[in-house]
Amino acid sequence: MVSEETMQAFYSANMIKPVYIRSARAICAQDTFTGNCLPKELTDAVNNALSYNHPDYSRYFSIMQLRRMGRLTKTGMVAAIECLRDAGISHPDAIITGTGKGSMSDTEKFMGNIREFHEGTLNPTPFIQSTYNSLNGLIGLHHGTSCYNTTYVHRGFSLEHSLLDAMLLFSEGRAKNALAGSFEEMTPEHFIIKKKLGYWKEAPVSCMDLLRSGTSGSISGEGTFFFLLQDSESNAMARLDGIRILFEPTLQELTVEAGRFLKEHGLAWADIDILLSGENGDIRFGDYYKTISAEIPERAHHLAFKHVCGEFDTAAGFALWQAAHILERQEVPDVLQLRKGTAGNIRHLLIYNNYYGKQHAFYLLGV
Amino acid sequence: MCKVYVTGMGMVSALGIGVDTNRDALISRRSGIGYAKHLNSLLRDQLPVGEIDHATSELFRFLHNPGNLQESRLVLLAAIALQEALATAGMPLNEQKKAGFINSTTVGGMADVEYVYEQLIDPSIPEISADLGDSLDCAHGTEELARHFGLTRFISTVSTACSSSANAIIYGARLIRGGMLDQVICGGVDTLTRFTINGFNSLKNMDRNHCKPFDANRNGLNLGEGAAYLVLESEESICRTGRKPLAQLSGYCNFNEAFHPTAPSPDGDGAYQAMKGAIREAGLTTMDISFINAHGTATINNDIAEAFALRRLFGENIPPFSSTKSYTGHTLAPSGAIEAIYSILSILNNEAYPVLNYETAMPEVELEPVTEVMYNAGIQHVLSNSFGFGGNNASLLFSKYD
Repeated sequence: MVSEETMQAFYSANMIKPVYIRSARAICAQDTFTGNCLPKELTDAVNNALSYNHPDYSRYFSIMQLRRMGRLTKTGMVAAIECLRDAGISHPDAIITGTGKGSMSDTEKFMGNIREFHEGTLNPTPFIQSTYNSLNGLIGLHHGTSCYNTTYVHRGFSLEHSLLDAMLLFSEGRAKNALAGSFEEMTPEHFIIKKKLGYWKEAPVSCMDLLRSGTSGSISGEGTFFFLLQDSESNAMARLDGIRILFEPTLQELTVEAGRFLKEHGLAWADIDILLSGENGDIRFGDYYKTISAEIPERAHHLAFKHVCGEFDTAAGFALWQAAHILERQEVPDVLQLRKGTAGNIRHLLIYNNYYGKQHAFYLLGV
Repeated sequence: MCKVYVTGMGMVSALGIGVDTNRDALISRRSGIGYAKHLNSLLRDQLPVGEIDHATSELFRFLHNPGNLQESRLVLLAAIALQEALATAGMPLNEQKKAGFINSTTVGGMADVEYVYEQLIDPSIPEISADLGDSLDCAHGTEELARHFGLTRFISTVSTACSSSANAIIYGARLIRGGMLDQVICGGVDTLTRFTINGFNSLKNMDRNHCKPFDANRNGLNLGEGAAYLVLESEESICRTGRKPLAQLSGYCNFNEAFHPTAPSPDGDGAYQAMKGAIREAGLTTMDISFINAHGTATINNDIAEAFALRRLFGENIPPFSSTKSYTGHTLAPSGAIEAIYSILSILNNEAYPVLNYETAMPEVELEPVTEVMYNAGIQHVLSNSFGFGGNNASLLFSKYD
């Protein structure tokens, strides 16, 4: 064993200032869009897949427009529009997104067209929408906003980099606010590929049994999440103190880095009121979560979220959306409770997530 | 704000493997454009491209230590470029382990997957290799490379179409300036794929002949493939290691133009703002710019928009400019890093590389690109442009290190 002191820090983020979440929007398998909250009635997975509960897009776009728009173009545009509307901002200073896979339905459609028409004359729309940064451009176009704009495409680090980038922009004084978010979908074809690779459970499982299934694999999910981040505290839902990402750490590196991360923000494990973690019911990755949850104090609540939204590259977006609402309302949804604590006043919330044991991320939030 | 230096660089393009080979081709005006031998597409006899002259399986021999690297065109091209970048920086392994790695790509492992895709999605074939099943995204290659080179501390992948690696370089520089990292390896990689060549063909902006950047009779782009990486280091890191920088990354700007999903505004406002922002970031004026490596894809829309932006920003004093896309083709994600290296070569050798196939000035803006190699060109500051799909524009500014 390497001692904690000699173990090299992954990186330091001492110079990055906290930022504030002004508004947060979610479109996922649950109807989180209508009331911008977790609904009382939850939808269960069908054959180990939780699929989008789509909003009424006709309120936003004409039938002609909708016909050309891919699934993620629709969820992404509408979540971004409402997120900006909630914040009362029509021209953000930056638009930054993260996506693991981008619009797979457009990618697959264009691959299919290439085969079907033997590389003849093809409709360019699916090619354009398959481009990972097309949604960013369309959001800018829709709001007439020319600004800093980029897209991160690194699996379970995609949303994290989009948020880190926004935090850097504020520290640099280049922006006062930023629209940051993530978008992901599952397609029938990609479900098959991932099934062959062991991403999903063999037998169908109900969401409520997912976290105690004791087998490998998870259930697939989809989600689009947007956040308006700003550098000032006014009208904020919550404060995002920092993010720490770790690639394929050992269990020891994971706990040492988590402790360091808290310490950098002047906190210890005893200060954590809520741990919101990404257990996905796959026993292969249970040890990571057990190791982290063993650190939190007795009074802290331990919550999970993937039984509600499913597993996907950017599922942490659901956790961040939920965390912002928990901190704003000071209410803990029962359906997320893994272990009920006694903490009443919620001041510090830690999100810990990993995507199939490869990309690990911590988010520290507060009020 | 702390300065950011370039201490290493490595590349592969249709001009060949390695930075020196690329420079040789540039000064001898030798284009890498031709009909593809390795790309498996029906369009390969119709549309010339900048293909790297080796089959994927042959690429292993360019690596000192192939290790367990996957036989993937994307991964191997990137590994060859990374190997050179790390070697020129002279970065020992213990420093590599502390460095960040910001990669970029537009289609990731598509070239490896598209020919076996039918099998991947056929439910009657239960077993598929994880390498193939997982590589239809952008992060797979980044992670393969990170593990191979020990660059696992802080990794990311950027995808903003044709400005991808320019944005990877910008993110790396900002992570250094923000105090998060001391050293970052940034760049990008893309391979020619049936997917991409059909995509650009569907947009009807590919030339059936060799592309003609900034020419009145230009008729579209030629696609290319390649990989390029820069080693960026903080001022403090330079002081500590005593490494001599190749150049300074003095300015950069990302500016998205909300105009059209795929085309720039006719007056090139996005290009104008990106170039202006990079020059301002460096604390320089337009008069300081010695040379511009333009985006210059040779599409009807890009070149006129970029030319208007040059006229608007520089007035009558437009510095010498050129587009090396006439050598390499448009390599998409890595183009920003490839041209960053060409810009640094211009600075190091005090020379400017010409455009090929240029004959007639565009009637809308009378602009003459550089058509012969310029030697003793007094190069101090070089601007490098990368403008992409979705309005994603980025400019980088490199300055001579004294």
